[in-house]
Amino acid sequence: MVYKIMNSKFRIFLESAIISMLVLIIGFSLGLYVESNRNDKIIENYRNYEIQALDLKLQNYYYQIMDSSSCDMAIEQNFQFADDLYLTGLELERFEESNQITDELLREKKRYSLLKTELWLNTILLKKKCDASFDTLAYLYAGDPANSKIVAQQKIISNVLRDLKEQKGNNLILLPVAGDLNLGAVELQKRVHNITRLPVIIINERIVLEGFQSMEDIKKFLSLI
Amino acid sequence: MNFFTWVYVVLFFFGIFFLMIFMFLHYRNRYRLFASPAFTKHYSVSFLVPAYNEQDSLVETVEAIVNLNYPKDRREIIIINDGSRDNTKNIALGLVKKYSNVCLLNKLNSGKANSLNEALKIAKGELIAVVDADSYPRKDSLLKMIGHFDDSSVGAVTSRVLVKNKPNWLGKFQVMDYSIIAWTRKLLDFVDSVYVTNGPLSMYRKDLVIKLGGFDPKNLTEDIEITWHILSKGYRTRMSYDAIVYTTVPEDLKTWIKQRVRWNLGGLQTVQKYWKAMFREGAFGHFVIPYVTASFIFAIIGFLLFSRYIWIKGSYNLFSWYYSLQGYPFWRYFDYTFSFTLLLFLGICFFALAIWYYKTGFMSSETGNKSVIKIVGYSFFYRSLYVIPLIIALYKLARGDIRWYTK
Repeated sequence: MVYKIMNSKFRIFLESAIISMLVLIIGFSLGLYVESNRNDKIIENYRNYEIQALDLKLQNYYYQIMDSSSCDMAIEQNFQFADDLYLTGLELERFEESNQITDELLREKKRYSLLKTELWLNTILLKKKCDASFDTLAYLYAGDPANSKIVAQQKIISNVLRDLKEQKGNNLILLPVAGDLNLGAVELQKRVHNITRLPVIIINERIVLEGFQSMEDIKKFLSLI
Repeated sequence: MNFFTWVYVVLFFFGIFFLMIFMFLHYRNRYRLFASPAFTKHYSVSFLVPAYNEQDSLVETVEAIVNLNYPKDRREIIIINDGSRDNTKNIALGLVKKYSNVCLLNKLNSGKANSLNEALKIAKGELIAVVDADSYPRKDSLLKMIGHFDDSSVGAVTSRVLVKNKPNWLGKFQVMDYSIIAWTRKLLDFVDSVYVTNGPLSMYRKDLVIKLGGFDPKNLTEDIEITWHILSKGYRTRMSYDAIVYTTVPEDLKTWIKQRVRWNLGGLQTVQKYWKAMFREGAFGHFVIPYVTASFIFAIIGFLLFSRYIWIKGSYNLFSWYYSLQGYPFWRYFDYTFSFTLLLFLGICFFALAIWYYKTGFMSSETGNKSVIKIVGYSFFYRSLYVIPLIIALYKLARGDIRWYTK
């Protein structure tokens, strides 16, 4: 059959099919290669953060049990870690949007969300122990937004928070966490703060702001506490 | 991979596949595009000119036929006045008096297919040539077509339609459109897949058309239907790229939509009638039916995907405007970071190939080379308009509202 086609004027159909398949295979191969690289980068970063997180946790134990005189170092490291985690989180979101073949990043996103929640709890403890004056702002967003309104809201809130972080520097720890991944620790936080809808901003574990907030509104609440 | 990514991948794959077919066909046959078989025999030809309210163009059409380079005693011209309500009948009578080989068939209005079938009963020629009453064959067009009939497997031969009137943007786009349509039709000739013998000028073996029962009056595009009927019986259809006929195209969007709704309805009716021959009979079953069916399906899917995209982006922008009014700078919505994706790769391949395809098509036609900007305008703007008549046609088909739409 193939021999018959290849020797007739209809071989054009077969040749076109082969070239189209080739284009598809090249596309898939390139896509897989690029996505694997992205995933590897996120996984590699996660491994490093895991070590950092453990280190911070141990330091926290140490300050709780032994000594609170050198809180500054712990606070500084906490900030550094939160900032790194925040930047990688942004990258992860970007990669997740671009990945079309693999869905490995969903698992990594869950891991990162847990790591951020751990950092959040660590920060709460550190603030209490060291009587620190910095603000914590946890931003629980929908990883899989239900509609365009939420997409638009989240895009703005994310940009507003990025600007706020740039302004406040080391006076603010920013913790964006995907709130719809069915993770026990995150669900617990939602229950504690009576959160039923996303996105929300939780300022210093006391004020919960739902939906779109302007920079001025957030600043106003930060200064209240 | 999610569902929508799969849909895009399938669309891009078939888009690339069909474009590759045309590019291969062009480059393998580019020196044969304008070739026509030598004219060896003086077949007798009956020209059938169905006319409904064609008082403005009928004289010019008939005179174009009279002036064709072909022996006068080997042709007759039958004007079929399909119950016109204007002065067509009197003008036709004037033409009958003026030219000895012109005759008039008067009948009550019943559509083009019926008119042609009536004329078939009195036509004396071995071949029939159907010419729309607003179309004007070039002097040498018949000679470029008739040689194909020396091959007994050829049942019909069609010509290249060019636009006569181009007063505005729509006319200019149609000039480009008709060029691409004619060029692709010629390319399909090289794989025995000419699936439309156009209304402005096409020729048929009279005995064959009679054997097939004539033109289908229930079909809104009797020219597509008769072609598919001929192909389904194992005959070949040919296209002479060098046989030119000028036609009048719609000058406003409303008339254009009306014309294209009819084309789409007729096309859909034809697919509905012949789909059972899919993957059964040669090039017709293995390529023509799947290709035309896929064109309709992909156009609908493309429209749905586009609507979904507009809905998502539109509602996002709507909310973005709302928040902008609350002081959030609008320009921040446009921050975009480039990332490689599978669909981006396939999309670039598809659009690069499409631009190459259009450029090659224009260079092979009377329009000549076109800039990439014009091609992008044509393919993104004008071709996107194709979906409007398609949706209307689907709606009408679903409601069973099928009438004669052109007049």
